[in-house]
Amino acid sequence: MNEAEPIVHVVDDDTSFLTAVARMLRASGFSVKTFGSSAEFLACRELNVHGCVLADLRMPGLNGLELQEALAKAGHRMPVIFLSGHGDIPTTVQAMRRGAEDFLTKRAPKEELIDAVKRALERDARERAERTRLEALRARFAALTPRELEVLKHVVQGKLNKQIAYDLGIHERTVKLHRTALTTKLGVHSTPELTKLWLEAGERR
Amino acid sequence: MSWITVIWSMVASACLTLAAIHLLVWCRKRTAWPNLFFSLTSIATAALAFGEFEMMRAQTPGEFGTALRWVHVPVLALIVGLVGFVQTYLGGGRRWLALTTCALRAFSLLLNFLMEPNVNYREITRLRHISFLGDSVSVCEGVPSPWNLVGHLSLLLLVFFVADAGITVWRRGDRRQAVVVGGSIVFFVLAATVQTMLTRWEVVHWPETACLFFLGIVVAMGYEMSREVYQAAQLSDELQQSEEWINLATDSAGVGIWAWDFTSNIIWATEKARTLYGFSSDELIPFEKFLSKVHPDDIDWVVQASQKCFQEGADFRDDYRIVMPDGSTRWVRVLAKAFLTPSGKPERMTGVSLDITENKRAEEALVRSQHLLRETGRIGKVGGWEFNIDTSKQTWTEETYNIHEVDLTYEPTVERGLDFYTPDSRPIIERAVQRATEHGEPFDLELEIITAKGNLRSVHAVGNSDLEHRRVYGFFQDITERKQSEFEALNQRNQLAHVARISTMGELATSLAHELSQPLGAILRNAEAAELFLQATPPDLEEVRDILADIQRDDQRAGAVIDRMRSLLKRREVEHSLLDLNLLADEVISLIRPEAGARKIGLELDPDSPLPPVRGDRIQLQQVLLNLLINAMDAMNNPAPDDRRVTVRIQAAGTQVEVAVSDTGQGIPADKLAHIFEPFFTTKANGLGVGLPISRKIIEAHGGSIRAENAPDGGARFCITLPVAIEESPL
Repeated sequence: MNEAEPIVHVVDDDTSFLTAVARMLRASGFSVKTFGSSAEFLACRELNVHGCVLADLRMPGLNGLELQEALAKAGHRMPVIFLSGHGDIPTTVQAMRRGAEDFLTKRAPKEELIDAVKRALERDARERAERTRLEALRARFAALTPRELEVLKHVVQGKLNKQIAYDLGIHERTVKLHRTALTTKLGVHSTPELTKLWLEAGERR
Repeated sequence: MSWITVIWSMVASACLTLAAIHLLVWCRKRTAWPNLFFSLTSIATAALAFGEFEMMRAQTPGEFGTALRWVHVPVLALIVGLVGFVQTYLGGGRRWLALTTCALRAFSLLLNFLMEPNVNYREITRLRHISFLGDSVSVCEGVPSPWNLVGHLSLLLLVFFVADAGITVWRRGDRRQAVVVGGSIVFFVLAATVQTMLTRWEVVHWPETACLFFLGIVVAMGYEMSREVYQAAQLSDELQQSEEWINLATDSAGVGIWAWDFTSNIIWATEKARTLYGFSSDELIPFEKFLSKVHPDDIDWVVQASQKCFQEGADFRDDYRIVMPDGSTRWVRVLAKAFLTPSGKPERMTGVSLDITENKRAEEALVRSQHLLRETGRIGKVGGWEFNIDTSKQTWTEETYNIHEVDLTYEPTVERGLDFYTPDSRPIIERAVQRATEHGEPFDLELEIITAKGNLRSVHAVGNSDLEHRRVYGFFQDITERKQSEFEALNQRNQLAHVARISTMGELATSLAHELSQPLGAILRNAEAAELFLQATPPDLEEVRDILADIQRDDQRAGAVIDRMRSLLKRREVEHSLLDLNLLADEVISLIRPEAGARKIGLELDPDSPLPPVRGDRIQLQQVLLNLLINAMDAMNNPAPDDRRVTVRIQAAGTQVEVAVSDTGQGIPADKLAHIFEPFFTTKANGLGVGLPISRKIIEAHGGSIRAENAPDGGARFCITLPVAIEESPL
């Protein structure tokens, strides 16, 4: 899963802070990209990379929370760590509720910041691996014909072939043929295994 | 009728006529003694004429003797008359001589009646008839008596007495009187004596015609008396004229003249005096009637003062009130003189009265107005002053003395007045006084003096020039208390302003904390990075150098933020200086820009150039602008971020600079527009309601004004106008 180097994206309107924090993170061994504003960051094409976002909560234009929202809308799932001059409770609550990885003050100890970044990157890596696995799984389900998919839905409901044949108005033998084909396509060997995969893929209709 | 009858009767009648006239004069005027003596002389002469006529007509020596005897009576009267006349009319002659003459003659008369047939003859032997003036008259022959000489001696004494009196009068200067009266008496008496002696001793045969000589005397006296009448008439004319003059003068001066005769107790008064006291023209005025006109409160001392005048013969000089018939009161000033008889008894008092009601009223008004001036001056602590430009002599009112804490004996001059000013104030007042005296420029200054007792006082000195009359005048007010309370009010206002400023800064706390945490965070991160770079092998010193430079820059940035905050938060004295509002607004905007950015509000500054400076306190004016900007930002929660805009527009407008802060919010509700400057009135949930009242106080203290309005195209607009700083001449 760690095929590419994770990148820490730092977004802050204050150039000086931007430079300083990037310097420190690089010296600590991270790959860092800096952005002067939310807009600049969103315009970047390489969003779907490994990494996390370190954003100033208070910025002209889109502020930290709004950036988080925009990323979510665009389907990007990079963890976001917020930095703030001071921690004010309502903003913190709002940020955490929206799934902020962490919330730090600008002058938080280095270790806290680095731990937070590491945690974020780990989470990103974990989530990214999970997403990859699911996507592969979904791709396998996607390979099924519509009739096979219909049969599958009946199978995971624990129905017998005879029942399925009756429900679908087809011959019991035809049902068996479809079951063989789909277990082959999905690479499973038993009905319980099939049910587990179905649930994992989250295909609920 | 014979000539003798004609002549002698004419002599008698002429004399009697004159006597009657002068007797009448004496009856009217008892002190006119010369007239009485003249009458006596004339009557005596008439009687003498009658006696002589009888002698001339005597048929027997007995008749002649009797007539001659009785003739001595009128002669005595004649002598008494002449002596009296000379004494009273000419005012001369020795009294003892007069008395001796009269006594001798009286003795001769006594002898005359003791002897037979009379004092002149021992015996009349016979009568002779001689022709006289064409008529036959009797003369006698007889033995003259030696006692005859007594009568002649008395006549000589008379001549001697009159001559002596005549010389005295001559020497005194009344030469005509001496010659006419004295000379005629001497001449005619001598003539009569000689004639009598010649006939008596029968040197000549001639009837007794003494009455003719005495007629001469009477005529001379009569002439003299008639001259006096003529002169009196002339004097009366002159008197009348001069009286007219006096009346004219006294009338036009409003002076009434009067005289109070003490014996008759009647007051004579001119028309003017009568009008003055409210008497009619023909009214008789006894003293009591006069007193009834005097004001009841003044009666007692008017009486006392009059008595005192009579006792001491002094002048009466006083003012008193009289009550007019209509009940009104008038003030009268009286100047009078008391006259006493030689024995020291009150005789009369004459004087003038003048209506001084108007003067008194003016005087009272003056006293009242002076009192008012003094009292109002004392209450208001306002004194007046004036000085002459040429002499530099100064006049102060009472309160000016009080303010300087000097007593009224102090003699102010311009120089001494200037010495009271403090070293700071003195050059200013000196300059102002110099300009006032040289160019007539008025001044209005608030300065400080140190009083004579060493107290520091704030004073308001206002001066005006009147170069035409070479004077500078004005008022001088003690404003120490006002200054004190102004100072206290200013202190309170400053404290309140300070509190308001802190509360304003509280609203900016988030953005200020953020602004400060940026450089501080950068410093921390840079320091951490540097530590890591130094730990690397080999240490990346180049990077560390860059980091250190960045740290320094960020430190300065943080320092600047702190300074900006501190200047607004610090408790401080108000300091006035010349300010460029463009710059001032720019500073405030840079302070608030982070907050505006966070709130997605566009901030625009529209400066004006060139812009005249205003005079004021930088921090307080920044506070006002900051307050208005925060209000403007607070008013814009509703519009979409793209429509949130606050504009600060600065414009020079004549003698004023206008600063307008407008927003694109919903504006101020109409019902609240009138109240937004009231203390503790607020539309904000957490507002104290002190921002705008303090802002208004600050602007008004700067001589400007602030108003709120809704812009036609929406949004609220606050306008501040401040006066352009006047170039102060270096005083």
